[in-house]
Amino acid sequence: MKSPAQDGLPTGHPGVADAEAALRCIAGLPAPAGLEVRIKSTLEAAPHAGKVLSWPAAAFSSGWVARPLLRGAAAAAIVLVVVGGGWGIFRKAQPARTPSAVLMPPRLAAPGGFSSAGAMRTPQTLIAPRVSQPVAASVKPLVAPKSLPRAKKAVSRQKIQNSEYARPKD
Amino acid sequence: MHDQARQHADESALAALVDEYASMLYRVAYSVLRNAADAEDAVQEAFLRVLRHRATLHEVRDQRVWLIRIVWNIVLDRKRRARTRPETDDIAELGRVLPAHGLNAEERAAAAQHHAGVLAQVEMLPAKEREVLVLSAFEELTSVEIAEVLDITESSVRSRLFRARNLMADLLQHPRSLR
Repeated sequence: MKSPAQDGLPTGHPGVADAEAALRCIAGLPAPAGLEVRIKSTLEAAPHAGKVLSWPAAAFSSGWVARPLLRGAAAAAIVLVVVGGGWGIFRKAQPARTPSAVLMPPRLAAPGGFSSAGAMRTPQTLIAPRVSQPVAASVKPLVAPKSLPRAKKAVSRQKIQNSEYARPKD
Repeated sequence: MHDQARQHADESALAALVDEYASMLYRVAYSVLRNAADAEDAVQEAFLRVLRHRATLHEVRDQRVWLIRIVWNIVLDRKRRARTRPETDDIAELGRVLPAHGLNAEERAAAAQHHAGVLAQVEMLPAKEREVLVLSAFEELTSVEIAEVLDITESSVRSRLFRARNLMADLLQHPRSLR
């Protein structure tokens, strides 16, 4: 770039021009002798990068390697092998399918000490009738009415519910 | 056969680049690293990168600026990873490489000390302004080319250079210690 006096930008403090002169002096220092020779020798010794597969030099002179079509076919075969192997691994690594049937947890035994023998635990929603004494002959067995009208059916239902057969005795 | 011919052509082109630009690249690297061995390593690394991408060499519009940009990024990266360079190293190095120009040993030592002091003040500038100031010292580079090396606009180069000079003036008027 041009010196501060030439590029049109103000230099301000005179020391700035002096500092930039020092920078120009450093920028103009000569390179060490033999630099180009050393760099070229380094470049010649460096491996030549470029191709992923470095085919042996002898194969280029003759043989099937020299034909680009066959080389392309070989490359395609390699790709197929890699993809096929990857697909096989992918299939094996698939997570197990969810079972069609769900295994239910074992049923809990009913409280009371006796084994349930695999029976379901019946929740205590119904209060079964308790029979504390044998049924007397004087007590008429309750017979469900056969064909009563609706109102009478409701009354008879209430009677059944309120009878001694429905209420638990302490 | 065709590949060999192309490889030979690429190598010839690369050798021509080395002959033409190695010296300038070295000076660019030295202006930042201020060590001859490090600067030469940086230039070699730059050409090794060019070797890896030699197939695309013909696509580069301005090879000189392209090479400077490569070496510039290399030296900035090295400088970032290296420890802060003491001023005494600069004095010793500059005393060794500064041309005599009819100066005696005492005058050369004084010049080296002066230049090392300037470099120490330049180091105190913010990175953006410092980089523009250092690159502007190269006569071969225009503001457009500096903008291309730094990947900024030309107007940014001029504004940063203006700011760098103002900051330098402030540092010279109010000298501060490095630590």
